[in-house]
Amino acid sequence: MAKDGNEDEMVGYRQQPGKLPFAKPGSGGKNQFSRPTDQNMIPESQGGNLAQPWGSHRHDKLVSGQIIGKPTALVDGKWKVTGQAQYGDDIRLPGELIGRIIRSPHHYARVLSIDFSKALELPGVVAIATGADAKNKFGVLPVTKDEHAMAVEKVRHVGDLVACVAAEDEATAREAERLIEVEYEILDSIHDMRDGLQDSENPIHDRGKYHIGDANVQKRVFQEFGDVDGIEENAIASHKENWLFAGVNHAATEPHAVVANWDPSGRLTLYTPQQVPHYVHRALADVLEIPMHQINVYRTFVGGGFGGKSDPFPHEMCSAILARKSGRPVRITFDREEVYWINRGRHPSRIEMNLHADEQGRICGIETDALIDGGGFASFGHVTTYYNGVLHTAPYEIGAFHYTGARVWTNKPASGAMRGHGAVNSRCAVETGLDDLAEQLSVDPIDLRLANLLPPHSATITGFRVTSIGMRECLERVKQESGWDKKFRKMPLGKGIGIGCGFFISGSGLPIHWDPNKFPHATVHLKIDMDGGVTVHTGAADIGQGSDTVVAQSVAEVLGLPLDLIRIRSKESDTSPVDLGSYSSRVTFMNANAAISAAMQIRDELLDATVEITGAEREKLVIGDRRIFAKNDPAVGVSYLEALHKAQEDRGALVASGAYRTPPMGRTHKGAAAGLAPAYSFSAYVAEVSVDVETGQTKVDKVWAAHDCGKALNPLAVKGQIIGSCHMGMGQVLSEEMKYGRSGHLMNPDLLDYKIPSVHEMPDVFPIIVESNDPEGPFGAKEAGEGPLLPILPAVCNAVYDAIGVRTAELPITPDRLLRLIERKCKAEGVDDPLELPSPRLEHSELQSVLSNRATEHAKRDLDRRHNENREPYHNGALFGLDPTTPPDEVDEKWAVNVIPSEEYLADPRLAGSAWKHTERRHRGDS
Amino acid sequence: MRMPPFQLHTPTSLEEAILIAGDLTSKKQEFDWVAGGTDLLPNYKWHLNVKANVISLAKISELTELNETHIGAMVRLQDLVQSSATHPVLAKAADTVASIMVRRSGTVGGNICLDTRCYWFNQTEQWRESIDWCHKCDCGTEADCRVIPNQNTLCVATYQADLAPVLMCLGATIHLAGPNGTRSMALSEFFQLDGMTRNVLQTGELVTHLTLPEDVAEWQGDYQKLRQRESWDFPEAGVAALWKKNGSAKPSQLRVATTGLESIPMLHTTQVAECLDGWSGAESINELSESIRKAVKPVQNTWFSPSYRRKMVKVLTRRACAGLMEGGS
Repeated sequence: MAKDGNEDEMVGYRQQPGKLPFAKPGSGGKNQFSRPTDQNMIPESQGGNLAQPWGSHRHDKLVSGQIIGKPTALVDGKWKVTGQAQYGDDIRLPGELIGRIIRSPHHYARVLSIDFSKALELPGVVAIATGADAKNKFGVLPVTKDEHAMAVEKVRHVGDLVACVAAEDEATAREAERLIEVEYEILDSIHDMRDGLQDSENPIHDRGKYHIGDANVQKRVFQEFGDVDGIEENAIASHKENWLFAGVNHAATEPHAVVANWDPSGRLTLYTPQQVPHYVHRALADVLEIPMHQINVYRTFVGGGFGGKSDPFPHEMCSAILARKSGRPVRITFDREEVYWINRGRHPSRIEMNLHADEQGRICGIETDALIDGGGFASFGHVTTYYNGVLHTAPYEIGAFHYTGARVWTNKPASGAMRGHGAVNSRCAVETGLDDLAEQLSVDPIDLRLANLLPPHSATITGFRVTSIGMRECLERVKQESGWDKKFRKMPLGKGIGIGCGFFISGSGLPIHWDPNKFPHATVHLKIDMDGGVTVHTGAADIGQGSDTVVAQSVAEVLGLPLDLIRIRSKESDTSPVDLGSYSSRVTFMNANAAISAAMQIRDELLDATVEITGAEREKLVIGDRRIFAKNDPAVGVSYLEALHKAQEDRGALVASGAYRTPPMGRTHKGAAAGLAPAYSFSAYVAEVSVDVETGQTKVDKVWAAHDCGKALNPLAVKGQIIGSCHMGMGQVLSEEMKYGRSGHLMNPDLLDYKIPSVHEMPDVFPIIVESNDPEGPFGAKEAGEGPLLPILPAVCNAVYDAIGVRTAELPITPDRLLRLIERKCKAEGVDDPLELPSPRLEHSELQSVLSNRATEHAKRDLDRRHNENREPYHNGALFGLDPTTPPDEVDEKWAVNVIPSEEYLADPRLAGSAWKHTERRHRGDS
Repeated sequence: MRMPPFQLHTPTSLEEAILIAGDLTSKKQEFDWVAGGTDLLPNYKWHLNVKANVISLAKISELTELNETHIGAMVRLQDLVQSSATHPVLAKAADTVASIMVRRSGTVGGNICLDTRCYWFNQTEQWRESIDWCHKCDCGTEADCRVIPNQNTLCVATYQADLAPVLMCLGATIHLAGPNGTRSMALSEFFQLDGMTRNVLQTGELVTHLTLPEDVAEWQGDYQKLRQRESWDFPEAGVAALWKKNGSAKPSQLRVATTGLESIPMLHTTQVAECLDGWSGAESINELSESIRKAVKPVQNTWFSPSYRRKMVKVLTRRACAGLMEGGS
């Protein structure tokens, strides 16, 4: 309400001469005055002082020197540290009911009947639902929808959902649980993944005409690239190892929790800590049989995801079904044990890894066979099966790649996507194999790698388009900073140092649910009203990785605004544009690009307005801190708010929508899309360990961790990801394991017996950020969330070998496992006391200088390809003498591409390869 | 995870506590004592042998006395770690218990009376239902032991507390109080070989304190603990070795005790006696380590395999005795 004296001001079309002007809305941020531009933040290409050793970038002109590249506390950090962030279980709606899930006590059984009449009579029980209430299937991938909200016919593992109940309080719900009587017919369960390859009387799922024989094979892959037949002839050194990787769980701090509420207008709101709200949105529509527009998925704060919250989950369906039945909000929160039952952790895997090197120290063949244990459901497994192969076709140039992969169903909690999805285990096998090859060739393993790297802007053997590569710099930095040359193969028994590398996708090239040509991967909306604050709508799910922050930073940078003027609205599907969510390390690359594109539109409007006010030349205008001015005469300019209000004169609030889609890429063979990404990250770690040879206990002392993230938009967050990845990977390599007992039960579904490393186990991690300036990344950035996990596993394994001369092929390397290997080694060496074991030592062979020279040459080659815009294409195969400018299979018939196994192969397949012995039912002629 | 309902009693004196216990016993009502709660309450949340009544000892100040030869049952583990009155080996063992947060709550009495642990027992109700329960918490089903099948007479759950072996080696006496008065015994006689009965405590009886002999300061030694992580984890094996040297190379007295291997901690008197009889320095320690390895019989119910735990007993014993070979004092 205006005061009496001012009333006149508010009437009339124009302000009267001599009256006080309208108060200006908006403050322009916490600090009223704009700061002069810091030239050290402005890239050389724009006349600033920021060195660009990797060349300029298309986003250089958008740099206002605000925030990109500055260590920045996450924008939601204070919400968390003050306890005001609302996670899944913090949502409290009036009249809520507590939901509990009734779970199978059997590994595999047919559900014959469910009698819940007694439970319904219990005072306080409001609703009970079973599989009969939701018959539609769902699943994260459209090709493998095999889940129900609750068991429809069968339960497939201990802990599988059978029914659910909603009651006035938790005690009543738990009491009701006990009163529900379920009759089962127990079926023969399988627990060993190798059994899944065999025909079965009762396959865990029935995929109809697409079913592979009568086996429990959910997905199988066969791929041959390059000169596979020539491997044997070319190789002078070969590494062969059979690996066994235990399954691991994400073990996020926050257990899964969900609240569902149907509002008076008949719409459903689902509050859930989801990494991928859009998929649960779709699945809810399928299961509840209501259109998507009647559902609002509200992503709460997420207390850690790591892939464990990226599937649409049956308990989310349960809460919605119970809420619909009861007419009241229903909250379900998991116990820790239930988190292990929903799992989606890393697949237990058996991987046979064969690597071959030729006389020039080139990697003339990689032959991988990966059998992965999917547990009871498909989840992301279709993709995982591919990733176990295709994601180790780089960063090395290779002569041949042979991959057979199979994923089988077993009666265990479902495996799924976990940080480093599908790449972690086989990468560990490759990198330890390279270490062994270097040992056999008597060369330094870092030099072996440096002499076999793909150059920037090249294509891998499977046809992935690789743009920026900082692999060489990563290797050189860790080599130097760890003091490698003084330590490797030179330390006393029990002390060791090891190297490992990583390669990971920075966003998945194909959106799972739609044609990328018809709908973008990511969309960001901006709205700026008179107050000057920018509201950003994005569907990117902040799962603690800092996606809200990176989107806010991108907008702030382009518009020259302090972060406190940016507010992110990323939680509700009602208001955020559709987004694929936080997985495959896509968010920074795709959403920041979309945000930049939206902000550029606003920027253009602000520049136009400035031209209108000042009459300055548009090309000369630059944006600094809350001020737009002529570069050649900074006195000529306007404040951000002046320009904004001018731009709003005729239309009110400014709005803009920016989107990102991947460029066309990849080849056309079956499975060519798996592993395609607009960019790839690279990393190299050196780990230094101490091994107690008497107890087998391994302690990681130091880790030098170099990661090429293209450009660290927020170096603080990148370092956090590197250190966090180290911790998570250390868990998998040293102690974490989902342990199944002799009766097939998961023995350690709790955080006391599932051994996550404590602060005592954590080494000193020295994060090293390498910025390879990706041409398509936002300001040059690529991913940093998953790739940094990969190298720590092999680095530790290789360091253990350096320390005691023992190679492990089973993870985690718990002390009892390592001691067994030490005892075997003692026997082989003929020593009684392990303290007398010899330490591995290295005498360089002649090949060493060949490799060093080639590495030096390649370094020059890479530098040239980095800076030369008119570079020619480079296809994997050039190192082996083929024409680099065409795909090798087009120039050499030996370099064939096969995706179907030959009769000859099937006569003697490897383990996972034997999945191809079955015929798909539709081709069998009997269905 | 939800605590089942129970009636909490909070006496302010030992006398009152025993009266309440007696009263409940006469009414045939079951109860548990709770001290720091770090063992009992997680088990309650898992619905493991829950009782309708719980008597808390938290407000009984007479149980918290701590000096060189007297340790009250309600002394917090962290206080034991930090007190200058604590024997250094005992302080070291206490310092390895769980984490500092647990130690600030957990007590000496609670640690001594720690419930035995087993992979088939320390699980939620739903989980235990999926294995058809087990002997230690059979929920009325008369279920068998899941570690050693086809028997339900002996429970082989493992005693995984750190203080007992050190206290046994120091010659501690444990003092109990109950409706029939007080009694005392050597700590090594307190435990009874069964994962369910565990010790000699009668219904309504509780541990009030431990006393150590006057010469406790003259004992030297070490405690070695095997575990996956340097925090949180219970001992997969623990070896305490304490000795008196009196200036000579051969110890005048030596005691070795183990924990984390069977349902009770064990003082290895026979093996030590043999070792001292034919004392020949390092070689004797090796032989002692080997004979203790042979004496322990762990089962498959904790994180590490029994064979590994036995092998490690040998290494840990040798390491615990390493100080014996140093210097003359």
